[in-house]
Amino acid sequence: MTFLLEALLYLATGAFYWWWTQNLSFFGLAPDIIFAAALSAAILSGPVKAMTWGFFLGLYADLLGSGVFGGYALTYTLMAYAVYLVKRQFDMDSFFSQLVAALSLSWASMLFYMGLSLVFSRINPGSVKIFLVEPFLNALAVPALFYAFRRLKRRFGIL
Amino acid sequence: MSREKDAANYALIFFAVLSVLLLLFPSSRVAHTVRVIASYSLYPSLHYGADYTHFIRNVPANVLALLETDQENRALREKNRDLELKLQNLSVLAEDNARLSAEMKLSRYLPWTGAWARVVNKTPSDWYGSIFIDKGSDDGIAVNDTVLGMQGDTAALAGRVFEVYPKFSKVLLLTNAAASAVCSIVPSGVEALVEGRGTWLLKMNYVPEDSGLQEGAELETAKGGLLFPAGVPVGRVSRVYPKESSMNFITADVTPLVNVNTLKEVYVVHRSLPREISETGEATP
Repeated sequence: MTFLLEALLYLATGAFYWWWTQNLSFFGLAPDIIFAAALSAAILSGPVKAMTWGFFLGLYADLLGSGVFGGYALTYTLMAYAVYLVKRQFDMDSFFSQLVAALSLSWASMLFYMGLSLVFSRINPGSVKIFLVEPFLNALAVPALFYAFRRLKRRFGIL
Repeated sequence: MSREKDAANYALIFFAVLSVLLLLFPSSRVAHTVRVIASYSLYPSLHYGADYTHFIRNVPANVLALLETDQENRALREKNRDLELKLQNLSVLAEDNARLSAEMKLSRYLPWTGAWARVVNKTPSDWYGSIFIDKGSDDGIAVNDTVLGMQGDTAALAGRVFEVYPKFSKVLLLTNAAASAVCSIVPSGVEALVEGRGTWLLKMNYVPEDSGLQEGAELETAKGGLLFPAGVPVGRVSRVYPKESSMNFITADVTPLVNVNTLKEVYVVHRSLPREISETGEATP
């Protein structure tokens, strides 16, 4: 049952991300809901589940994009592992720590994905506009998504 | 804790290896095609700029042609929508053009000088009472100028200018309950008073019983009425009422020739009425 609910949440997250980017992006900018979901899941879940979420959410992002296939899957898997390591030292449930984590991990994952893309397909997917603005949008989206995920976790025992 | 750490490490290795495998061996023809189709289903766009060549690598030409056809189809549908909108606008313009041309042609044969004006406002609470036109004293419009409406190929009486402002004027319609005009029955020339009633019908009053008035009779402004030029068509008798015992005249309903509901442009006939008459007209609508 939990597995089904998690699959449903995964699909809902994907659909929400798709809807947001289709309807609510301004000047091509929108928070990366997939990233925010991966980070929220990483904060809330144990390491294995967090990485599973990161991998599959990354796979979804890869499927949608035109870049290297598997790039986001690797990036978000590593991000989930990094969060697991940081979580042991810091409390990541607070708003401020999520903000800092979202900002720093946004930039880190963008740079990492850019590196992967350059290595595997010699394409630079970076855009200055996205690099400068999106992390801040992500920083706002992460606490909101974290709150929603935590409620779901408490209510249905998922994540 | 150590167990969790081990599990985390195994999971990391498993997913990292899986991801790297996907990165290294991504593109069996079928897998990549499926990816492109799935991606296109969610984001129906092929505008990937510099990434486009990378995006379509390995995709069979027929699948690519299908996607490009879909893009073309979407663009054409959008263009078609725009064109339909333009067509609708054009048909409205064509209607306007035809109507205005007919009116212009008609105005050449009018025996009066005047100016065309557009109806710019109708008051919902006073629908049959008054209208506003877009010409005012700046255009030579004066109080009591006669206002004609075009109905088909006929210019007929609509009312008279009641208030004048620099850029616009208020027209008192003949259908206004306070408006009236001295009219004569065609061809007998018998004169009677046609009054507005605040509805689409006019009332004809003071018609002699022996005038032989019949339904369908046409009315035009009479020479005796100073406010309007003589000979302007007004309306047609739609119903004649029998004489009431207390009165020595009969009354009738008159359907005005000008339909207020379809009035879009009017022709304002410049009158140079003597000042005294003009002032009398201002005092009594």
